[in-house]
Amino acid sequence: MASLSPTLLYQDRGLRITAAGDVLVAKKSPFHPFQISFAGSFAAPIWKSRIGLRKKSKTTLSYPCIKCENSENKENEENKENAEKKEPSIKHVTVERFPYYSYLDSTSGQLEPASGARASIPGQDYWPEGTASRVRAANAPEPSGVPSGSSSFGKKPGSRRKKYNSPASSDSSEVSVVTSDELELVDDGSEESKDVSSDYVVYETEQVKENLTEYELNKKLGLPHPFIDPKVKKPIEEALTSDELWWNWRKPDKEQWSRWQRRRPDSETVFLKAMAETGQIKLYGETPTLTETSLYRARRHIFKEERLQAEQERLERIGPLAFYSEWVKAWKRDTSREAVQKHFEETGEDENTQLIEMLSHQTDREYRIMMGTDIRIKRDPLAMRMREDQIKEIWGGDPVYPTINYIQDPDEVIDFRGPDFHEPTPNMLSYLKEHGKIISRDELDQILANEKTEELEVADMDEALAQAIDIGENDDEAGDSEAEEEEEEEKISRNWSVLKTTPQPNKSKPKKDDMSLEEAVVDSENLTDFLLDFDESDQ
Amino acid sequence: MSSSISLQQTVHCFLSNFQLSPKVPLPGWRIITGRPQRIRPLRASSSLAEAPPSSFPLFQQPPEPEDLTDSKLEPVDPDFYKIGYVRSVRAYGIEFKQGPDGIGVYASKDIEPTRRARVIMEIPLELMLTISQKTPWMFFPDIIPIGHPIFDIINSTNPETDWDLRLACLLLFAFDKEGNFWQMYGDFLPSAEECTSMLLATEEELLQLQDHNLASTMREQQQRALEFWERNWHSDVPLKIKRLAQEPERFMWAMSIAQSRCINMQMRIGALVQDGNMLIPYADMLNHSFQPNCFFHWRFKDRMLEVMTNAGQRIKKGEEMTINYMSKQKNDVFMQRYGLSSPVNPWDVIEFSGNARIHLDTYLSVMNISGLPDEYYHNKLARDGDSFVDGAVIAAARTLPVWCEGDVPPIPSKERKAVKELQEECQQMLMEFSTSSQQDHQILESIMVEEGGESRKRLETAIKYRLHRKLFIEKVIEALDVYQDRLLF
Repeated sequence: MASLSPTLLYQDRGLRITAAGDVLVAKKSPFHPFQISFAGSFAAPIWKSRIGLRKKSKTTLSYPCIKCENSENKENEENKENAEKKEPSIKHVTVERFPYYSYLDSTSGQLEPASGARASIPGQDYWPEGTASRVRAANAPEPSGVPSGSSSFGKKPGSRRKKYNSPASSDSSEVSVVTSDELELVDDGSEESKDVSSDYVVYETEQVKENLTEYELNKKLGLPHPFIDPKVKKPIEEALTSDELWWNWRKPDKEQWSRWQRRRPDSETVFLKAMAETGQIKLYGETPTLTETSLYRARRHIFKEERLQAEQERLERIGPLAFYSEWVKAWKRDTSREAVQKHFEETGEDENTQLIEMLSHQTDREYRIMMGTDIRIKRDPLAMRMREDQIKEIWGGDPVYPTINYIQDPDEVIDFRGPDFHEPTPNMLSYLKEHGKIISRDELDQILANEKTEELEVADMDEALAQAIDIGENDDEAGDSEAEEEEEEEKISRNWSVLKTTPQPNKSKPKKDDMSLEEAVVDSENLTDFLLDFDESDQ
Repeated sequence: MSSSISLQQTVHCFLSNFQLSPKVPLPGWRIITGRPQRIRPLRASSSLAEAPPSSFPLFQQPPEPEDLTDSKLEPVDPDFYKIGYVRSVRAYGIEFKQGPDGIGVYASKDIEPTRRARVIMEIPLELMLTISQKTPWMFFPDIIPIGHPIFDIINSTNPETDWDLRLACLLLFAFDKEGNFWQMYGDFLPSAEECTSMLLATEEELLQLQDHNLASTMREQQQRALEFWERNWHSDVPLKIKRLAQEPERFMWAMSIAQSRCINMQMRIGALVQDGNMLIPYADMLNHSFQPNCFFHWRFKDRMLEVMTNAGQRIKKGEEMTINYMSKQKNDVFMQRYGLSSPVNPWDVIEFSGNARIHLDTYLSVMNISGLPDEYYHNKLARDGDSFVDGAVIAAARTLPVWCEGDVPPIPSKERKAVKELQEECQQMLMEFSTSSQQDHQILESIMVEEGGESRKRLETAIKYRLHRKLFIEKVIEALDVYQDRLLF
């Protein structure tokens, strides 16, 4: 009885619903209990109307009475009565979703497609800023009309104004009356642009002559004509070499100063090379030219089906075992049809079993190549037949994380950074050596050996110094030991705080003992320092 | 545009058609200006008008005036708009028409009053010629190549005063530059014969102005231009400079074009706000009016000049689009710069020397003028049939010596006496001119009948200038008459 409006359903869920709507109201149900029939199957979550049992009817009747409480209950009743009169049978209502996303547009009050060409364009008020003026400018009608005279290019300003002072001159030239709907500069290009027509006078001062060659005539009339005027056409002077036909921006190999400049093989080039190797095509030069590459690209697109077909035929011709053995390197047995047949006769293993046996020897890499699991490898019969190094050349071996050649775009912008951008300064080592930042292992060993002997010397000497300097401020054990350790590290004579915050390498004190006076003077930073040191040693 | 405003056309329109006369700059006031006694001679002169002159111009308006104007106005050569159209100039709902007084812009359909201003023209910056008003000189678009000697010439001018010389140099350079838009657009500029600027006027024409101050100013201007030309276009100047203006006339012409068509605007380019002297194609074809219906607007977004109609103003088909060139300037300033004058300039001034004064408030109420002194306007709604008040009457309100002391009412007898004195003074001024306005009309008429000479344009303009002055004074006298008639006792 179609009691449900399709839009309601649509708005609710919009799924396909087959509603069989003999929904009877409880009042009638006691008398015709068996007429309650739900012929359709409702998708429970979709059916929004609440189905409840009425208490009253439940008490009075032993039959469960079901009522559909809908927002359109009244309509339901009316519809139901009508429908019962006319057509008591079941009616199937099918609500189908639109093939595009849509929403109820509050401005138009209709269901509008959310996107795409069917979406209605909102009114001008809703256009983004500037759109209206652009539309207006685009809609402005192009001026029409035959210009009289031609430009003097700045020589005679005012020459194209109409002359009012000399009526005699206008009489001399030819006068023709035309209807003037030209120069109608009307906004919106609306219909009123053309309706105004009045006669006015146009002075034809110039005769337009048409001397068209045959080629131009053909071109003008749209007759078949060559693309280039045969008279103008010139033969191409000299063909470029294959090397020049390669990417124009390529720097010659000798002048390369960055590894970013070397030619990065793109997939198509490698494919083409591989095809040339297997004899499927012939290349003009060593490397495919741009033309050849683009030809290949087009052909691959166009003839892919054909090639797949050929592969299929080949599979049927030589048998699956022979066909797939290409991707099972480990399979050394004979795979010809005769051999397979023979094996079958001997062991009773049919072709499929043998194939499975063979494929169990396949490595995962081979399998991947065979199946084209890597999405970047087009399922191209040729790609399945490329050599390992060729594949590596393109995808760097690892299909998931290509490490080599991970930039494959031939149109890539060249990196013009310096050649040593990625590398450390080449003479860094010598630089570090010069500045004493780095030493060789021998020197290190020697220093370490020296330090060991020094430590012994310093230890006993510091012992004495520690006692001498200790003024008893920190008497406790820990402080004492700390102070000692400090003394061990460096001997602070003055301005100790500065030295503490910016520790300087230890002056090798022990050397001082056997230094001459001159050496000591040179060694110490300045004269005062020297004198102070001198005093200390005196003590 | 300056050249196209001229009295001849204006007056002609008064007689033949006053509802749709497109050349009349002042739609509101033109009705009254056409007083019968002044109109008659002119009407007779224009051979087009067939209706016999009558002393009741109001009654003869109905017979289709449109035809007359249409016959006078022809569309400009379609190339005029086409050359701009292909360079993304756009004109909406307007058409360029040319009458004997030059090119003007007319509505090609009715424009309903709208809330927002309506764009009628868009002109991209690329087509303009622009110099910044102050140093450093910047040109938008930058057409002057680095190191070109024209830049040195431009740089040698006085930054304060010589904007017209700079612009003239730029214009001449644009005419010489290969592929510049102005090479083509220049064909539609008024030629030296048509140009009404007094820069090009002869001594005789300057005398015809009957205004010594203006004549001497113009002589100084001519001298200045000539000196500039001699200084920079001497014999051993490089050819690329020399060919810009071989003879001084060419430079004078360029200078008059620069003066009469220069638009001073503030434009914003990127982050740069710039005061510029601009020559803007198409926009400079708009004529002047003291009650304009259009204005300019710089559209920063895509660097276009928009010409927009006033919001809320209804414009009928065939009406002329006008802008206000200068406000608060007397006729002589207009004459000096634009070569135009108007009898209804609301800012015109008469110097009175006597002590006589009239009561300001009474005058204003009699004439139905409202507003503050700077923006007096005629309150048309109050009195529908009144067609007397025009710009001249408003100018009179500003220029007449007046008194006003709170609520003190005027004493009619005193007022009448003052009116009489003022009128006498005006008459005195009229007497000082060597010709009367009627004689001027006749001279104009005879010139138009001759129709032969091509240099008549400036002569006409000069005569019209003095005629307008006289018309203005006469109008003031009439206004005083009306004032004294309507004084309340």
